[in-house]
This record gives sequence, C-alpha cells and structure tokens, in this order.
Amino acid sequence: MFRNYLKVGLRYLLKHKGYTFINVLGLAVGITAAILIMLFVRSEHSFDRFHSKADRIHRAWLQEFYEGQIFTNVVTPVPLAPLLQENLAEVETVSRVAGIGAPIHHRGNIFNYPVTMVDSTFFDIFDFELIKGNRQNPFPSKNSIILSEEAATLFFGNISPIGETLELEIGGEKRLFTVSGLTKNVPYESSIQFGLLIPFSNAVHIWSDYVRTSAWSNVSVETYVLLKEGADPAKVNAKIPSFMQPLVAGNYKAGEYNVRLQPLTDIHLDNTLPAGMVAPSNPLYSYILATIGILILLIACINFITLSVGRSATRALEVGVRKVLGAERRQLIWQFWGEALLLTLSALLLGVLLAYLLLGQFNQLANREFVLNADVFTLLFCFSLLILIGLFAGSYPALVLSSFRPVQVLKGKVRTRGMGLFGKGLVVGQFVASIIMIICTITIGRQLHYLQQKDLGFEREHNVIVPTNQQGSAAALLANRFIAALEKNPQVIDATTSLYSMAEYGWMQLGYKDDKDVFRLFRFNVIDPDFVKAMDLEVVEGRNFMEGNPADSNAILVNEALVKEYGWDDPIGRKLPGAYPQQIIGVVKDFHFESLHTSIKPVVMALKPDAFFENSSDVSYDYSPRPRISVKFRGGNAQEHIALLRENWKEVAGDQEFEYRFLDDALNAAYEQEQRLGNIVQYASLLSIFIACMGLFGLATLVVQRRTKEIGIRKVLGANVSTLVGMLTKDFVVLVLLASVIAFPVAWLVLKRWLQDFSYRIDISWDVFLLAALVSVLVALLTVSYHAIRAALKNPVHSLRTE
Amino acid sequence: MIKITNLVKVYRTEEMQTTALNQLNLEVKEGEFVAVMGPSGCGKSTLLNILGLLDDPDSGSFLFNGIEVANFNERQRSSLRKQHIGFVFQSFNLIDELSVFENVELPLIYLGVKESERRKRVEEVLDKMQIMHRQKHFPQQLSGGQQQRVAVARAVVNKPHLILADEPTGNLDSSNGNEVMELLTDLNEQGTTIVMVTHSEHDARYSHRIVRMLDGQTVLTDIMV
Repeated sequence: MFRNYLKVGLRYLLKHKGYTFINVLGLAVGITAAILIMLFVRSEHSFDRFHSKADRIHRAWLQEFYEGQIFTNVVTPVPLAPLLQENLAEVETVSRVAGIGAPIHHRGNIFNYPVTMVDSTFFDIFDFELIKGNRQNPFPSKNSIILSEEAATLFFGNISPIGETLELEIGGEKRLFTVSGLTKNVPYESSIQFGLLIPFSNAVHIWSDYVRTSAWSNVSVETYVLLKEGADPAKVNAKIPSFMQPLVAGNYKAGEYNVRLQPLTDIHLDNTLPAGMVAPSNPLYSYILATIGILILLIACINFITLSVGRSATRALEVGVRKVLGAERRQLIWQFWGEALLLTLSALLLGVLLAYLLLGQFNQLANREFVLNADVFTLLFCFSLLILIGLFAGSYPALVLSSFRPVQVLKGKVRTRGMGLFGKGLVVGQFVASIIMIICTITIGRQLHYLQQKDLGFEREHNVIVPTNQQGSAAALLANRFIAALEKNPQVIDATTSLYSMAEYGWMQLGYKDDKDVFRLFRFNVIDPDFVKAMDLEVVEGRNFMEGNPADSNAILVNEALVKEYGWDDPIGRKLPGAYPQQIIGVVKDFHFESLHTSIKPVVMALKPDAFFENSSDVSYDYSPRPRISVKFRGGNAQEHIALLRENWKEVAGDQEFEYRFLDDALNAAYEQEQRLGNIVQYASLLSIFIACMGLFGLATLVVQRRTKEIGIRKVLGANVSTLVGMLTKDFVVLVLLASVIAFPVAWLVLKRWLQDFSYRIDISWDVFLLAALVSVLVALLTVSYHAIRAALKNPVHSLRTE
Repeated sequence: MIKITNLVKVYRTEEMQTTALNQLNLEVKEGEFVAVMGPSGCGKSTLLNILGLLDDPDSGSFLFNGIEVANFNERQRSSLRKQHIGFVFQSFNLIDELSVFENVELPLIYLGVKESERRKRVEEVLDKMQIMHRQKHFPQQLSGGQQQRVAVARAVVNKPHLILADEPTGNLDSSNGNEVMELLTDLNEQGTTIVMVTHSEHDARYSHRIVRMLDGQTVLTDIMV
C-alpha cells in the first residue's frame, strides 16, 4: 500500500513539474529563511548557557537614587565581591572581572590589547576551557598571565606560550608577567570576553586602599557570584540590604542604594540594564526575526494549500475512483499527507542546501559567524519543520480532498466553488504579511537614510580619529607632535585633540549640586582651541577659545541645550551656579555628540579638566578618558590618508601601535543593529512577495479552470480579450486591496513602536502605504495576467467542450 | 441477489427538490444480465449508484444477497463494495499516474491481497482481456477500447459477484463497443451478475432483460429471447 502511495505520489509530482517546482521552491525558500533565522535566534538565546553552573551564576548590579536621579550600573564597587561572600551563606564563591587599560610592551612594540583582571576563583565559576594551566591555581603568582589562543598567536606565533613573558604597563609602571595558562578563544555567545587574564591582586597598582576597601560610590568592576545548589536568588537579594545599608548610610537613605543579582543567562537579552563588558542585545530584534521566519514559512505553507486547492479538481477524480475501488477515507488521508511529507522532504533537502550556500551572505548580513552543523538541535529543528509543514501544508488535500464523495466527483459535480472563500482568505493572509513587510522595509530604509543624512551639527566626512591610548602629559605630548607633523601636509585641513572625539557616543558625565541644592548632570569634554573649527561647530553666542590666551584655561564653552536647561537669556560670562569657577565665553549650536536614539543633552567643553573633576560629586564614563586626535582631510583617497597618518605616527610614536577609525563609519556603527534589521526585512519582504505570488499563480489556475465555460460563452457572445482579462484579474486586485486595508494599521502600529526607539525620527507617511499597495497590486496583476490572457485567447470551442 | 423495494431518493437544493427514484422496485437474480434504459434524468444513474453502494437511499429497502444494506455506514459499504462489486464507467476512470498493471492491481491492494497473489491474479485477468502486452503502459498511451478493457479488467480482478456498468460503450466507436460488450457477455456467462445502464438499444440486446425507467420508476421490463 505504502509503495503504491509513494509511486503515485512521485509520479504525480513528476508529471506536474510546474506545480511541484513552485511548491518545492516556495517551501524550500521558506525553510531556508527559517533555518538561517533559527541560527540567529538560537545564538541570541544561548548566551552564557555553555557554563555548566550557568543557572547558579549571577552578576551583581547596582541601583542608586541620588538627588532625584536614578543611576543604574552593572559595574560595581571593588569591595562588593568579598562583602557578598562574607555575608551571604548562600554564596559559594565570587569573582570580580575588570577590564583595565594596560599597554603591553613586547619585542619593541606597544599593543593596546584588552587586559582583564579576575579573581583566582574565576575558573571555579566559569567553564572557559583552559587548554594549558591549572584550573585550581590558575595564577601561581601575582605576575602570572593567562592568554587566549588568539592572544597567544598574536604575541608568540605558533610556539607554546607557557613560561613566556609579557611586559604590562599598569599604574604607570612596567611589570613583567609570565604566561601560566592558555585558554580556548572565548565563544561569541559569552557576555564575558577576554584575551589576557591577570590576577586581581594587581588591583593594588590601580586603585587606592580606599577604593579597594570602602568606596561604595565608586564603581569599577563587574562582580559575579556563584550561589550554592538550591539557593533561592530572590531570598539572597532580599538579604543584601541588611548588611549593605549600614555601610552606605552616610550618603544614602534606606532603599536608595540597592545591590541586586541578575542571572547570568539573562544578561544578553536584558537591555533594561546598561552594557557591561559586552553590549546586551535588544530582545525585540530576535522576536522580530522569529516572527519574520514564521511568517515566511506560513506564507509558503499557505502557498502549498492554495496550489492544492488549484489542483483539487484533477485529484478529485482519483479520489472518486479509489473510493469506488474500496479505499477508505483514512487511507486517502494518509496518502495525501504522505505526498505532502514527500514534497516537504524534497523542499527541506533543497532548503538546507540553500541555507548552507547562503550562510556566508547571511553571516555578512547579521555580522556573525554562524556555522550550520548537523547537531542534535539542528536535526530536531529540521525534523520538526518536516512534520509541522508536512502536516499543516498537507492538511487541505488530506482532510478536504479525501472527503469528496465518489458519486459527485465521478459525475464531475465537484466544483471548487466552495474553496473560493477559503482560497481567497489564504491569499489575503499572504498579502497582508507581504504588504506589512514592504511598508516596514521602506520605512526602516527611510529612517536609516534620515539618520545617516541628518545634519549632526558637525562635519562627519573625511574625518579620521586616531586614539593616543595615553594619559595625561604623555598623551598631550604625543598629540602635539603628531598634529605638528600632520599640519605640514597640504591634504590635512585641520587636526585637533580632545578627550573624546565625535566617534565616542557618550562623553564623560559629570554631576554636581547647584546653588539651589539641585543635582545637575551634564556631558563634558576637554578640547583644544582648534576643536570647534575642525568639527565645523557653530558658535552662536560669544566666542571660541583662543590659542595662547591664558585666561581661556578658566573658561568654558557650552551648548544651547545647557543654556536652555538653566533658562538663561544671557549666558556669556555666567558660571555653572554652585560648583565650578569657570566662566562661559561662548555657546555652540546644539550638535549630536550622541546617537540619534537620544536627545541632545547639556554639554560643557573646557581646555583644562582638573577643576571639573575636583568639583564634581559624580563622574562616570563609558569610554576611557584618553585623548583622541581628529584629523580632517580635504577629501580624496582614504587609503592615502591612512598611509599618511601611519607614516607620521611612526615618526612621532615609534613603537606604539597605530589605530584609527573613520568618523562616518564610527557614527554609522551606532545604527548597525537597525541597518541589519533593515537589510533582513528587505530580503524577507522580497521572499514573502515572491512566495505569495506563487500562491496567487495557483489560485489563478483554479479560477481560470472554473470559469472556462463562462469565458467561452462570453467570447461567443462577443467579449474581447481585454474585457475578459479585466474580468478575470479584477477579483485579484480586490483581494490585494483588501489585504492592504488589513495590513495598513498593523504596519503602522509595528513601525510606530519601532520608531519610538529614536529621539529623532521620520514621520510614517501615507505615500509608503500607497506605494506598498501599488507594488503588490502590480505584482499580483503580472502574476495573474498570465493565466487570464491565456484563457481569454483560448478558442471558445475548446472552452465550451470542457463542460 | 438484489431486491429493491419502494426505494426513494430525493435530491434537494436550496431552490428545488428532485425525486430521482420514486418508490422503485427491482429484483435482479444471480447470474442475470440486466440492462437499464430510459431517457436522461429518469434516475438510471442514481439507481446504479445505490446498487453500487456509492449513494444511500432516503427510504425503502435494498437487500444484497439477502442482507439489508440500505442503512450501512461508509465503512460497511466500502467493505461490501470492494469484495463483491466491480464498476465499469463510460469515461473509464483510470488513474493516469498508474500503469495498466497498477490500475488493475488497485482493488486487490485495498482488499489486502498479498503481492505474489496480486501479481498472479492481475496477469491472469490481463491475459484474459488480451492486454497483457500493454501492462506497463499508462492510460494515456492506450486507445479508448484498450482503456475500457483495462477498466473491465480492473472491475473483475477481485472476482466480484456483481458488475455495474454505466454506459460502458458511450465513449467508444462501434467496433470497440462491440468488443467490450462481448467481454461483458463472457463474464456473465461465467456467472457474474451484470447491471448495465445504457442508451443504446444495440448494447441492451446483449442482456437478458431490459428494465425501462421513467420518472424514477420502472415502467416496463422486456425479456430478451
């Protein structure tokens, strides 16, 4: 019996090659999309789960209420870890993780490679694989260092690094470290990334005793806690205030200083907390992608059903004959589901092949390095796709075709008229999804274009940022020599040094209490007198800093947002009330020193930072305060510019590594996630409309078949081809228009929510909706007109004979 | 073999109600060859469908081999059908995707006959119908006469007691038509009961008895000599 089904199934599929091709291709494309999106979503949800104790590991985070403001940090005070260990019986062990700036001197070169300082319990908590070394005693001495494979290759090539030495500059002194271990490279799906690990005992070179033992307002390290088996994190969280509050009582009332534990596995997709070592991901994006994947699959399945409806007239006779010969409905159900599974299997094989071939492009699109392995999860995923799609897509032929009564089908009385509403409903559903995706594609594209083209208030083109990676006078000396060397070159228009360049989205944040005891925050940058000119900032009131004017070292420039916040009409000559002695000498027009996700905040720019650091009660920063040099070129070849910079850098900086970033690349990086989403939605909408059109093609087959006699009669009575084509296509246009009406509000809601993430955004305009509807109608018309024209051109004698 | 008493079948649509069989009575004895004739719409095909258990009557009695089958459910009807009844249609109704051999084999598959036995019986019947050489061909590769012979082979392969033929020569020329009628006559002579619906007086003459119908009732029976 099974062999007979298989035989008929295969022969049927081979005989109706067009039908099979459309079905297999549609499903395969849907499956490809599903597999690729699965890789992405799976990666997003597997972060940090590779640690065997992942369910017991938590990261401490801190919430402070201070002067009416809320400060949330995942970076915590240095003494927090030992405090938690001492006071909580549920804690098995703790480890601090701190990224530190420590230039590495090696074989005459200076590398700015990230160095991470961890407690010796690090490997007790986490499962990072130690290829060489001792997990129980990873750092035999304070001057031990553990390298990842990547770091080992960078510094020592292919030789075994164990026992080799590296010189790290920590706390202003060079210190020799001996390699005591080698780890596998940290997986991408880890919220803790490192290349070089040194023991936390080196903290004495970086932080004062006070910071290391009792500075509860000073945050510097991430604190990880391993709870004992069976410990309840909620209960642990509840216990913390009892021993924490007495320590901070001087500055905070009860409930104003809260330390909480966040499960390790929640870190990656919880973007309500600020970024730690690795920026968290917006969970919305994996939900959007999963929805897109499901939608595409659904469209492909609906296609299968629509095409089955289209072909049901031919299959009905077979059903009748089989029933007459003794087949039971149950047997026919299995036959049709078997065929659907067979077809889905072919589509699955093709889909996996396509996914494999397109993985490179998808990796580029998603900026990842996914691998398609035949692991248990992937195999199970594919098997589930096979069963779910097979059962769902085959449900129409299996359940409806098998119910046909032989008396009716053998007399040719089964009309597919009853399928009309069903088939139409399916097509409308497909076009709703496609139209939503088209509208989203266009709008996301427009928003990205807006972000990239918006006047930021400064010049972004032909600007290269070179970090000094030095501090204090060493940085100033290096920057001055570098700029002096560059200025001789006619291609360089300007070069300027500032603590933060425009490429760092997030300047230093300072807070102070003003004369009315109101806590105020502003963004702060240390610049040189050339900064305003080099960045094309506009001074709208007062003046810029003047070169060689000693009085200006006691002056500041502010932005319009600051003036507005204080409500001043005459800002020039004023001081920030309360804390700082500097006078405002100029106001610059607001410029976007942060991404367009956020609105412009008050800014202060000064030549000298010292008074600000001394007088601020709160200092925080995301990027290390090491001056950057911004170089503005006349235009021309970017590679030549880099070569020029590199050459001059070598002259003034000697062995120190040369780093650079193009300003516009750095700015665009802020919208990378949106850009990627935009690209993926664009591909998804193309796919969905392509698959939906296949479904439409199928439905057109059905309609034309059903109306063959009507077409013949109309022709005999004098209808011309264009009238007939119009008549046949009109219904489809109505379907697509109906789909548009349903899709519009959904798309509007989705986009409204998405655009809320941007402080600066476009309005959702109606032309996008019209355009999407128009594109869909046109594509639908093109698809349907093939059948319509063929039917209209047919000799009526043949049409009438079919009855 | 068949005894029908006061059989009624009414077709209803939203707009109208059509009485296809109206208190119809008919008896067919084992080994008989009965032709049913009458104008279009008189209920011939409805009668045949009910005899073949493809359709159920609204009222009346239908005894098949002495058993009341009028109220059989779908499964019971399917079981009785595949064991005792063979069908021959005007439009052959062969499955295009199956070869001659496979088409003929199909009723045996549904009957659960073993493969070796199936092969033997299919070959036997193809040989008898003189289309053995065409067993690997597909229906569209055959002439109308050959297709109908395959259909007859399929109808008899499970050795049914009753063959129901619905205008079996309707789509054939006269020489192919005659061949098919000869085949049916042979089968009847070997003991198979045949009920045939036809418009052709010529074909009807092969039968033992012609039942003439009008407006859902039998109006006359001609005994052929």
